[in-house]
Amino acid sequence: MALTMYPAICSLTPSMARLTSCYFSTSQKLYEIRKLARMRIVDNSAIGKAAAQLGKPPRVIYVYNAKEVGMLGDKVLVTVKGEMKRAYIVGLKQKQYPNVPRMDTNNIVLVDDNGSPLGNRIMVPIPSALRGKGGDLTKILSLATKFV
Amino acid sequence: MASKSLFTCILRPSPITLLCANNNNLALLPSSYACVQQVRHRRFPKFVVRPTTRKVWHVRKWTQKHDDKLITSNEQFIQDIVVQNYANKSESPLKDAPWNRNPYIKGTRRTGVLALKLGTMVQWTKDGKGINVTLLQVLDNHVINYVPPELYKFYPSHLPHHSDRFGLQVVGALSCDPRQFSKPYNNLFVKAGVPPKRWLTRFLVTPDAAVQPGTPLCVNHFRVGDYVDVQGRTRDWGFQGVIKRWHMKGMPASHGVTKSHRKMGSTGGGGDKDGIWKGKHMPGMMGNRFSTLFGVKIWRINTKYNILYVRGRSIAGAPHTFVRVSDTVLPTKRIKAENAENVPMPTWFPEDETEPIPEELFDEEMFQFTSPSVELEAES
Amino acid sequence: MGFKGLFESGQGFTMTDVEGKLVPERGRMDVEGAFTHVSSSQVNVAYKSTHVINYKRTRAEIGQALRKKPNYLHYDLVDKHRSSPLQKGTDNITVETDVKAPRDYRFIMPEFMPRPHFEYRDRVLEKLERRDMLRRRTVINIPEFYVGSIMAVTVSDPFAPNKKNRFLGICIDRGGHGLKAYFVLRNVVDGLGVEIFYQMYSPTLHSIEVIRLEKRLDDRLYYLRNCPLEHSTFSFDMEPIALPRGAQVPVNTLKLKLNPKPWDERWERQDLKGIEPIELTPKMIKGIQKVHNASATPWKKHDLMLHYRSKVNEEEEETIMAEVYKENQLLESMRKTSKATLKKKK
Repeated sequence: MALTMYPAICSLTPSMARLTSCYFSTSQKLYEIRKLARMRIVDNSAIGKAAAQLGKPPRVIYVYNAKEVGMLGDKVLVTVKGEMKRAYIVGLKQKQYPNVPRMDTNNIVLVDDNGSPLGNRIMVPIPSALRGKGGDLTKILSLATKFV
Repeated sequence: MASKSLFTCILRPSPITLLCANNNNLALLPSSYACVQQVRHRRFPKFVVRPTTRKVWHVRKWTQKHDDKLITSNEQFIQDIVVQNYANKSESPLKDAPWNRNPYIKGTRRTGVLALKLGTMVQWTKDGKGINVTLLQVLDNHVINYVPPELYKFYPSHLPHHSDRFGLQVVGALSCDPRQFSKPYNNLFVKAGVPPKRWLTRFLVTPDAAVQPGTPLCVNHFRVGDYVDVQGRTRDWGFQGVIKRWHMKGMPASHGVTKSHRKMGSTGGGGDKDGIWKGKHMPGMMGNRFSTLFGVKIWRINTKYNILYVRGRSIAGAPHTFVRVSDTVLPTKRIKAENAENVPMPTWFPEDETEPIPEELFDEEMFQFTSPSVELEAES
Repeated sequence: MGFKGLFESGQGFTMTDVEGKLVPERGRMDVEGAFTHVSSSQVNVAYKSTHVINYKRTRAEIGQALRKKPNYLHYDLVDKHRSSPLQKGTDNITVETDVKAPRDYRFIMPEFMPRPHFEYRDRVLEKLERRDMLRRRTVINIPEFYVGSIMAVTVSDPFAPNKKNRFLGICIDRGGHGLKAYFVLRNVVDGLGVEIFYQMYSPTLHSIEVIRLEKRLDDRLYYLRNCPLEHSTFSFDMEPIALPRGAQVPVNTLKLKLNPKPWDERWERQDLKGIEPIELTPKMIKGIQKVHNASATPWKKHDLMLHYRSKVNEEEEETIMAEVYKENQLLESMRKTSKATLKKKK
């Protein structure tokens, strides 16, 4: 469990971990998706699976909105296995509005440059509030198996 | 002296300009244009410094009770007399012929009311959207005095920025036992024939919206869906430094800084711009001054308890403090003359209503708790 | 100086002042024991339950509340003005005390209790808020539930096929006063923990049903996030199990084992009863000691003013609960009759 949640810290030795910036976090309570936030890929794309096997979850390197803080349904740029990929946020650890679910992990779904998803199935539930948003999300939501 | 003349010639039209205004053929030109001395300044102070002296036109309010040794039965007797003399008074100025009532036209400004801030609450719209509202109770309001513009012009309280077209309407709230007030304060209420009030305020009104002294004001003065300006006193912070008062940055905690971590730094430059300029932000008394929230919507009205539900929860002041509520002056939100058929002019009178008014009035978009749960629909 | 006078003038007078003068440091332990015995009988601690709302505020916050405010009127003075014979045109609230609510009724409906902060109290506002809540309760049945109960909620969802969305889970938190009351449900769907925050009086809620009525040992169960997922996994097809009439609400004394670190919060520093004892490292122990020393206030149990301010007046509480109880009895009887008529029609 600990390995899947915080692989970066657990894989490093304590002395090295102290040197890295992710040893402590001041924004832990906010759970904001900013640059260098670790995410979890929830689709069955090959690159996502490979990254999960390697124990290196993707990192956000840009958030495509004015505030640069990722909210539900926002588009982000992530690095997976040394490649830059675009993705959509489909679940957040942060506190949400009433009637909108809050997840235990920060979930993303990878898409290519045209906006079509890389995988063909999503294994976790998707917030129903995302269904109102149009655009590329409609392609992603067609892969979803369950809504909460 | 120079600054005063500058002030007056900008804000007060001289007789020559007035003459020009009366004659339509002449163009409107500021006559004092030539004699304005151009003074370099950054800006006027954002906030006026809190006055510590009493206004000239204020009379002494409170007095000390000297009848502490009264036994309870005597105390009760005096209270009965007070109620008899004030509450059940037969002589009232309203017995005289009522004042003329005018329609609401463009440029009319009605009187406001004094309300007690009760606290905040959550309500919902019909779209299932939550809104915060503040509850304001219009409790025991009476009109105390009216001064027409012709007279008010010469009053000491007439400030330079007051226009000559406004009269003065004095409104009071919360009737009290007159024994705790001084005699000159009690004399203010003789004309209106009401008990002395705990709180007094004044509103600037146009003469067509003047209300007869002695008239009670209630929550029906406003309509649901209208916009009002709410003015309250901010929290009293006392004497504060520049960091809290003006949000200055202070100086670093280390790197050789000593004894000036929370100080303001330099107060001014040298050379041409030397000296401390007027309005320099400095430490001082903070808060306890009026702050206005413009254009807040009335979502709901309770006529039984005289309560306004207005938008937002950022009205200045703690709960159970007084706020001034009046029609908004914002040009986009104020009452238009074409939509002013139902506006109570100059205020609401119980004789106007033929049918009993409902206890609660709701805005059209407001969710009522007796109606079934909302079913949301997707926006197409 | 009378008790009321003290309250109004806002001068802090605590037992600590007396203690500091009378009791020398060395003999404090013995005397303190005696004091605790006396204070527990004087200060009301009869309402002990697992579901206690934390009303405590720091000394600084109380000092802030007691600061002089411009034009501020105490709520007793406002009530005097409302009921004064000199005042006309505005009604004042009336108190009805012909029924009496059960003693623990406030734990069943905690959101009806007013805010205990005396500077934010207003009786008319509370009355109007309660009336709105009771009106909403005529439309939707809000049953009795506690933290630890398993519940199912249906909300309006414009994008769902049947325009409704149902979620089932364990209640891990409950709070808020008046119309701002809320609760949080948690469940595990497809191996992912999901939590939803609901406003209890929001008009978007269509139904609230209690599947299994029970309590847990703690008031907040956020530590379920760091427990094995099986403890917060519940099937969406669970059928409601009704308790026998008159039975007490059972307390689930289950003790959970936390996952190994990292955790979302420092659970070892919180006084939790629903988890198994944690193996403490020296660092943890140091932290616990630090927190304990910082919040160590042994004098607080003797501070009568603090106790007085931290809760609503008992008489007033009884009147409020009686009013709510009466309204709810009426509602229940109406529901029963409507059900009976429906059956007859069938």
